[in-house]
Formats: sequence, structure tokens, C-alpha cells
Amino acid sequence: MCACFVERTESLLNRALTAHDLGAFFQDTLQQALEATGGLRAFLAGIDPATGAMHVLYAAGPGWTESARLNRLYAHNRTEGGITAHAARSGQLWVCPDVHSDPYYVEHFSDVQSEVAVPCFDTEARVCGVLNVQSQRPAAFAPRHCARLKTLAAAAALALALQEYRERERNLVEIGLQLSVTQQKGAFLQSVVGAVQRALRCEACSLFLLDEGTQQLVLRASSSSLAGKEGEVVYTPGEGLTGSVVLTGETIRLEDPRTDPRWKGRHPEFVPDAMGAFLAAPISGHRGIAGVLRASRPRTGPTWFQARFTESDEQMLRAIGAQLGAALENRSALEQQLHNERMAAWGELSARSAHMIGNRVFAIKGDLNELKYQLAESPACSEQVTVLVNGLEQGLYRLEDILREFRDFVVATRIAVSCCSINDLLAEALSETVPALCPVKVCTDFEPNLPALHLDATRLRRAFAELIENAISFQPETGWLKVASCLTGREEMESQVRLNPLQTYLKITFEDGGPGVPKDRKEQIFTPFFTSRVRGMGLGLSIVRGIVEAHYGIIAETGTAGEGARFEIYLPVPRGAQGTGAQLPGKEIKHGTDFGGR
Amino acid sequence: MGRILVVDDEDAIRHSLQRRLEREGHTVHTASAAAAGMEKIQSGEASYDLVITDMSMEEGESGMQMLCAALERDPDIQVIVLTAYGNVRNAVECMQKGASDYVEKNIPDVDVFELLVIKAERALIQRSCRLQARNAA
Repeated sequence: MCACFVERTESLLNRALTAHDLGAFFQDTLQQALEATGGLRAFLAGIDPATGAMHVLYAAGPGWTESARLNRLYAHNRTEGGITAHAARSGQLWVCPDVHSDPYYVEHFSDVQSEVAVPCFDTEARVCGVLNVQSQRPAAFAPRHCARLKTLAAAAALALALQEYRERERNLVEIGLQLSVTQQKGAFLQSVVGAVQRALRCEACSLFLLDEGTQQLVLRASSSSLAGKEGEVVYTPGEGLTGSVVLTGETIRLEDPRTDPRWKGRHPEFVPDAMGAFLAAPISGHRGIAGVLRASRPRTGPTWFQARFTESDEQMLRAIGAQLGAALENRSALEQQLHNERMAAWGELSARSAHMIGNRVFAIKGDLNELKYQLAESPACSEQVTVLVNGLEQGLYRLEDILREFRDFVVATRIAVSCCSINDLLAEALSETVPALCPVKVCTDFEPNLPALHLDATRLRRAFAELIENAISFQPETGWLKVASCLTGREEMESQVRLNPLQTYLKITFEDGGPGVPKDRKEQIFTPFFTSRVRGMGLGLSIVRGIVEAHYGIIAETGTAGEGARFEIYLPVPRGAQGTGAQLPGKEIKHGTDFGGR
Repeated sequence: MGRILVVDDEDAIRHSLQRRLEREGHTVHTASAAAAGMEKIQSGEASYDLVITDMSMEEGESGMQMLCAALERDPDIQVIVLTAYGNVRNAVECMQKGASDYVEKNIPDVDVFELLVIKAERALIQRSCRLQARNAA
């Protein structure tokens, strides 16, 4: 190769690295290709990574018009004819010394006698473009010309990759910006979907979020035929490819999703025959998997083209999913903070009201006390009056009950942490709560040497006591209660509770032989004012949940109605606390210790 | 029978307590604020045997002020602090500073007025024991 060519190519490459707009680089490359081969015309065709369609990106030489450039490969995309398409399909350099006898040649300019097409390869070794040079002379392209064109094609491929990465970077920055701006949640999700679609060059992107109430994956934004069906398109966790992502927390990348056994085709973006490459990643945050981001491409390109997603596409979507998960959590943390501030103001007002109501009730009790005395002194007292007085008294006691629950509820989410052992807390709650002559047989299974955590001991003991009291009150005759603690492992991800697969949790289980909780009430029982017991206002389990969630934990009822209740609490273990170094000396608690009971 | 001072800013509570304790034969004086209560403790020829005071009246610390004033006048004065349910932290602090007992106003299923009568009785016995011991010494 002549020194002049090497020098010029080197200077070209240097410009590619520093130029903002790569258009001039591509034009210079084509000019260089013409000079290095003595050719008449040259063009660089790009291949759309999503559809496989070829387009002339840049052209040099006489006779080119804008419409000639745009239409040059239009027919080739449909017929797959032409030597440019052949080079793209075969991945081989194709020299055509005489256009009149070439099996692939399709005429465009009548003065062409010979032509060469050189494929450009991307970082995944796929053909991403074709450099094409034509000559008015027959057999104009000798091996030395082809070698130069290969070098220039490689330079063009690098520049195309650079362009692709810059475009991707722009889109990622846009996603980053979208994640940080405050806007309505629906618009926010829709803009994320649009940016992901551009960054991945996919025709369809849909975003599903797990509904906290129903635990179903619900479509929240889409750039495809599913747009407009937000809130209607629903998957159960585990259902189809999209549902599988929620259960496993793994990404799924397929060239043809229809061949996968998990594929159900319930809500595809394209008709099944047109279904092409598929990529889905979890939207995962600190508190578990919050949803799924799904991208797909239709099967519309040329037969040779595989519209698959690359490994770097997969990594990118996973990273976007993690960022989106964190952003959604931040949003909800912000909402939570606003909520907390309102609650604090409300709590202040409530505490004052409760104090004032308490004082009034106390005063009325004083009058009632006097009334009872007067009635007892008076021989004429009728039985009906006594009944009325007793009714008043019961009413006041009930009011005091409500006041008590009310105050407990208001303070439930205020947390003061200290380093403590969960097994100690459980043992204390049991010994404080289980009566000496309890008809319920209580047993424990505590994993020894659990890491110490920063917890609000008083509040958590209160939460545990509530669950223990619940188990006992629902089994008045006879029954059992098993309290267990352990660290979660990988197998826990199979459970009904949605957990972050990257997070270790301390799991506490309260299992009993009572009536259990019907399926349709499993969420309801944790809402304030829901109760199936006669006494109390129904704040008990909502207080428990408030306490657990104030520790960033998760609580769920996972038992089977008719067989007994099973409350599972998951408290996140911070990284670094898992080791043995963080244990507390604490009281030694043996496996299977019995607490009271028959 | 004892000389009792009831301090509470709620008229109805003050009157109910006075009525109930007088029924037991005690002599009951009342004050509707910490300042008035302290004045009554400090003046007068004989000290009170028992002071029953609300924990928080116009100021959060009013119960503590009453306690200090009472013990300053006579270290054997018995003081019972009335507190709102669940707000026993201050009451416990009062106990550590020398109050003889505390009563939560709103305990479900309990007639707190009867409880107060019992606690007042117990406090008066304690005071007479301490006075006897002091005289004997």
C-alpha cells in the first residue's frame, strides 16, 4: 500500500475520533475510496440494526441526486437483489469485473462497467454496512484496490459504531434526565419508553409495573400497538416470558420468542407471525422487583437478516431497569416523605385531640362514678336506670379502647433504632405475650447466630406481640403457634413474596393452626380499620405493617385459608452485616424452645 | 382522713375528683393552674398530705413544677401524677424525683376514680408511716 494512502487514512481516522459530525468523515472516506481505486462513483450503505433494511447513507461521484441516493437500494430491500445486498448477505467482499455477466448486478447508472462491494462489520461481527465503488472501466478493481477498500470499509465500520454509540449515549443521557425530572408518573413512564425505544432501536417497547394490591403486572406505558391499553393489559407473575422475568429477576433475550416454552403470546406487540427479537429486563429496586421493561422487533427485514438484540443491548436494558427501579423508589420515597409530613402534622393534631378527648372522657367517668354512687344510695333506683348507666360506662371504656389504638397507630411509624438481636426480641415478645396457662402450644425455631440489625426494639416487639396475640385469639380452645427466624437464601425467591434477588433478608415467620385468612382478604387485613374480631378498631395489623415498613421490611400473609395463618416478615440485612462479626452476644436461644402453652 | 390538693386545669375533672375524695371523708382543696397550686402549697399553716396533679396543664412541665414545690415545702408530702394514656415517660421521671405514684386517666375497663381513691388511701398511709418514723427518730 502506498505511503500516501496510509497517511491519508490515518488522518481520516484521527478526524473521525475528534469530529462532532461524522458526515464529513464519511464523505472523505468515499473520496479516498475513489482516489485509491480510480473509481467513478462510491456510496456507503448502512443496515438498520432493527429491520435489516439498507439505505445509502453517503454517496460520491457524478449523477447522484437526493432521490437517487434515497431510492438506490429501495428495490433491493424487497428483492434482495444487487451486489450490495449480496455482500451484506454473504459477509464477503464481492468483485464484479463485468456488470453485464454478474448474476447479482442490478443496473442503476448505465455507464457502470465494473463494481466492488465491501462489507463493514460491527462489534458483534454482524454486517452493519457496505462500501460500494463503481467504475466506467471493465475489471477496474485489482486485489490491491480491494485491500485498500477493505481498510476504508473497516474505518467506516468504526465510524458507524462510533455514531451508533453516540446516539445510544444521547438516548441514555435523555433517559437519565427523564428519570430525574419531576413530572406526572404516566408521562414520565411514557417518556422512558420512548427513550428506550430509540436507544435500543426497537419498534416496540412496553413497560409493566407490579400492582401493589393485586400483585399483577400491569401495562403502564407502551410505544407499540399496546399503547392506549395501559391498565388493561395484565400478566400474572410467572405467566409467559414477561411474567417469568418478575419471578426470576433475570433478563430474557431471544431471537424468536415463539420457540420458547414459556411463550404464551397473550399480549404481543406484533401479530405472532411478525414477532421477531425479544428482550425483557426486570425493573428492580432496593425493595424487590417492581416491574418489567420489554422491547421487541418485528420480523420484517430481509431473510438473511437476524434482528436479534445483542448482549450489550441486554446489559443496557438491565441497567435502565435498575435505574428506573431506583427512580420509581425515589419517587415513592418522595411521596412517602410528603405523606409522612402530612401524617406528622395530622399526628400532632391527633395527639392533641386524643389528649383533649381523653380528658373529657376522664371527666365524664367522674360524673358517671358519682351517678353510680347516687343510684346505689337511692332505694328508688329502677333496674332500667342501672342498665343505662352500665351502658354508658361500657361506651366510655370502648371510647378509651379506641383512643388507645388511635395513639398507637399515630406513633407506629416513628422509629428509634439500636443494634439488637431479632431472636432476643422474638423471645421477649413471646414471654411477654403468651399467658402462663395458654391453650395454644407455642414452639420456636430460631436460626442461631443471626446478624444483629439496627431496629426499633420497642416497636418491633409490639408488632411481634400483636401477631402472637392474633394467633392466640383465633384459637381459643386449642391450637399451635410456630415462630421461626432465618436468613433468606436463593430458594426464598420462589415464595409468594416479591423480594429483591440481590438482597439478603432476615425472615421471621408466625405460623398457626387457626382459621387462616381467605385469599381475597390477604391484602385487606393490613389496611386500617379492617377487622374480623369483635374488639378493637382493626388497626392492629396496619400498625404491624407500619412498623415493618418503617424498617424497610415487607410483611405478607402467605397461609392457606382453613389450614392456618402464616405471616412472613422480611427485614433487609444491610451488606456487610451478614458476616459473623456483627453478631450480638445476646441471650442464647436454643432450637425448638417451648414457651408456656399446654 | 387527709388534706388533699387537686390541681387540674379542667373544671369538670377538678370537681369530680373533689366530690369523690370528699365522699371518702378527705378535705379537698383545688387549684386550676400550676401557679395557683404552688401558691396554695407554699402558703397555709399546715402542709397538704397529698397533692394530686395533672402532668401537663398549660405547660408540659407543670406536673414536675408541682412536685418540686410540694417536696420543697414538706419532703413527706405524697404526690400522685395524672397522665394521659401512653405518656408515662414524664410520669416515670416524676416517680424518680419523688412522686409516690401516677395514674393514667384513660385505662380501658378501669374505673380510674375508684383506682385513685385506693391510691390516695395508700399514699396517706405511707405518709403517716413516714411521719411516725420521723417522730420516733
